[in-house]
Amino acid sequence: MTNAREITLTVNGTEHTIEVEPRQLLVHAIREELDLTGTHIGCDTGNCGACTVIKDGEPIKSCLMFATQADGSELMTVEGMEDLPEARGELHPLQEGFREEHGLQCGYCTPGMLMSGKALLDENPDPNEDEIREAISGNLCRCTGYQNIVRSIEYAADELESVAAADGGERPTDSRSASETRSDGGVAVDGEFDCGVENCCGGPTTDRERGGESE
Amino acid sequence: MKPAQFEQHEPETVEEAVSLLESLDDRAILAGGQSMVPMLRFRLAVPETVIDINRIESLDYLEEDDEWLRIGALARHADVEESELIAEKYGSFADTAPLVADPQIRNRGTVAGAIAQADPKGDWGSVLLAHEGEVVAQGPDGERVIPADDFFLLPYDTTLDENELLTELRVPVPADREGSAYHKLKRKVGDYAMAGSAARLVLDEDGRIERAGIGLTAVDITNVRATDAEAHLEGERPGSELFKRAGELAAEQSNPESDEHGDADYKERMVNVLTQRALADAAERAGLVKRRVSQ
Ligand SMILES: Cc1cc2nc3c(=O)[nH]c(=O)nc-3n(C[C@H](O)[C@H](O)[C@H](O)COP(=O)(O)OP(=O)(O)OC[C@H]3O[C@@H](n4cnc5c(N)ncnc54)[C@H](O)[C@@H]3O)c2cc1C
Ligand code: FES
Ligand code: FES
Repeated sequence: MTNAREITLTVNGTEHTIEVEPRQLLVHAIREELDLTGTHIGCDTGNCGACTVIKDGEPIKSCLMFATQADGSELMTVEGMEDLPEARGELHPLQEGFREEHGLQCGYCTPGMLMSGKALLDENPDPNEDEIREAISGNLCRCTGYQNIVRSIEYAADELESVAAADGGERPTDSRSASETRSDGGVAVDGEFDCGVENCCGGPTTDRERGGESE
Repeated sequence: MKPAQFEQHEPETVEEAVSLLESLDDRAILAGGQSMVPMLRFRLAVPETVIDINRIESLDYLEEDDEWLRIGALARHADVEESELIAEKYGSFADTAPLVADPQIRNRGTVAGAIAQADPKGDWGSVLLAHEGEVVAQGPDGERVIPADDFFLLPYDTTLDENELLTELRVPVPADREGSAYHKLKRKVGDYAMAGSAARLVLDEDGRIERAGIGLTAVDITNVRATDAEAHLEGERPGSELFKRAGELAAEQSNPESDEHGDADYKERMVNVLTQRALADAAERAGLVKRRVSQ
């Protein structure tokens, strides 16, 4: 390496000092230098979001940033999720949500979806469906059709709330009424069709307008 | 694909950055990197040196003084999106920020970088034009102020000198009876515009339009002003018939190209519709300011 430079990255709470060339992308540093291959690369253009990690609290696309630009920062990748206190040594509620609600098929987009979902719930513990869709709008999924990903994140929000309640309830109580909860199956959310079968495809989409004329 | 090898500099002051620009030959400025990193990866840009300006803390601001809303070169799209000042007073900026790309890109990409990129499909150029804003640049000979009208030349080409660093974008603080808005048509969330229209209206004491600014996205070789529509509006009272004619004039003046997303006729019709909507929102917001002031 000609003009390599030393940088320090704190990834999932562990500090790493590595040598990188200026041209090395953050995603390559994470995957190749740190061997954390949970963060995926899906495109060359910054479109897919598979490489999403959380940098100093904000979701970013790690393929659109050089490793040197993350020098000194705190990163979170999918590998760090089970070490978070709310995971209680097992799967993180978001990961559990993706399992329970069938939020993945091939799984390629999942690490990025989890990071965008995590960043959303950190900011907004009780998001509505539009807010969830907005938060994952930079993440492409070619398999699921997104319905179940939205549900997975809703599941995690509910789960995190009950974890918090059990731990002494720091979080405000959920304002959503029981009829809006998905986990009981067969209940319509926002007028959306639901056949009642758990882990189903999500049914025909309602042709709802999102973001004005922009869709 | 990996970018080619380059040397890297991380100046911490504007002066340092400008002297690097002056002393180095084959160099590129890196801001949010949301356009630059893909260009480096595809080797559309193969500079010897990259000047990363992200450590110049003095450029990280979004503030208002008596005269201007000032957007420092390191203000990110997300900073505009989250700003209370913007939400309260700058309708077109508040409309635009959440429509640029996606949340991850908005956390890194800068408004100034988008203006410097001068993509005719970029959203901010239309807003800057509609507000009759200015671009502030710092070069070896000091500061230069470029009116937005004189900034965009061709796709990806501006009147910024290659030794100059864009340091600030600014638009006049809204008058008492001023409102602005932005409407954008895109195929799906996160996409660049198929067409977009930014409108700004300043009303006089009688409620007539004293000044109108309209900037269009993705329908010409750069972001452009719809000057015929602006002239038609000035001196008149806001109203749907007036806006309808202004929409037609904006469409007539636009020069969209047919592509896989739509033919030129369709895009012209969209310019018409989007311009009418932006004007209606701008007029309503100008009225809201008036009511608040008179209370
Ligand atoms: C998937 C995707 C979707 C996008 N969608 C949209 C969209 O819908 N609307 C939209 O408007 N944009 C969109 N963008 C572009 C995005 O807004 C970029 O953030 C922006 O174009 C560039 O800003 P940046 O700060 O990232 O600049 P960079 O990528 O760092 O730089 C861009 C160019 O500007 C130059 N430059 C940057 N800062 C300065 C400066 N201070 N002085 C002089 N030159 C400078 C650089 O040298 C480079 O040539 C999208 C990008 C991607 C990857
Ligand atoms: S790999 Fe980063 S956005 Fe696709
Ligand atoms: S599960 Fe296959 S891309 Fe999302």
